[in-house]
Amino acid sequence: MTLYFINLEQAVQKIRQTKAKTVCIQLPDGMKPYAEEIERDLSKIGVRVLIWLGSNFGACDIPLGLQRLGVDLLICWGHNKFIKKEGW
Amino acid sequence: MEVLFIEAEYTRKVELCPEALEYLKQKNYRKIGLYASVQFVSKLENVKKQLQEHNIEIITSRPDRTSAVSQLLGCDNYRHSLNLAGQELAAVDAYLYIGDGKFHPLALVFVQKNSNVKKEVIVNDPIANRLFIVNETDVAVILNRYKSSLMKFLTARKIGIIITVKPGQEQFKPALELEKKFPDKKLFYFIDNNISFNQLENFPFIETWVNTACPRIGLDDQEKFVKGVINLNDALRAEEILRCWT
Repeated sequence: MTLYFINLEQAVQKIRQTKAKTVCIQLPDGMKPYAEEIERDLSKIGVRVLIWLGSNFGACDIPLGLQRLGVDLLICWGHNKFIKKEGW
Repeated sequence: MEVLFIEAEYTRKVELCPEALEYLKQKNYRKIGLYASVQFVSKLENVKKQLQEHNIEIITSRPDRTSAVSQLLGCDNYRHSLNLAGQELAAVDAYLYIGDGKFHPLALVFVQKNSNVKKEVIVNDPIANRLFIVNETDVAVILNRYKSSLMKFLTARKIGIIITVKPGQEQFKPALELEKKFPDKKLFYFIDNNISFNQLENFPFIETWVNTACPRIGLDDQEKFVKGVINLNDALRAEEILRCWT
């Protein structure tokens, strides 16, 4: 068992629910080695998987410009919803 | 585009290691501020039970940017970001963080940077099953540099304001408050995604910098700013902070 729960079932469910065709996966540095397994398993259900190479400092750090590549769904591991605070 | 967050919870048991329990007992801590990173926050039942068994009261909160009670983010690193009432802050004997690494628990050290009383931050790492302490000595160099950056900011006239385009971190409007507060300074606004530290020196007319992106950049990356950097919240009350800095 991996140290952290990858929860591919939740990912697949969301892909089916949104009928996504192109999915971008974003992982924090410690989980980037799991990209191979995630890419393999998600590709099996017929979606194109793009792997975000860059930073993933938190849920505050969502990649920009993915829509230009036709990405329908971004799956971001290791974080939960970020509550943005205006001014701090 | 839809976004799905998968928390990636820790898959093994989470509990306090014997060393941590012994330490809490030896220190006679009665009230503990309990926090954890997202991977551990949904698995704190055993920890809470252990603390209760040792008659240690738990004080916690949902910090500003988090979705869960007791969750700690690295950016919840200043006095008001924990959302703890003044009385609760005063009552905490020490903080206990559940998770690995120093990045998140150091937020609790930075929270106390302008406070006269410093509370210990105890880390129980469930992966290594060990205890370690983080405190101001871990960030002494950063805080010294930060203090001189504050002084530099007050006397500088040409200031570079750094704004990120990351939607979660972008603070353009709040940054404009600086114009009202410091009408005698000339403010230059710089836009970037990840901060390009190696570009800073290409703007030699800038005397010092203000960071408005992640508040950890102004602290942890202090050494990457040769001309100094402070965070937006501190810039807005720089004089007051310098006055009470111990």
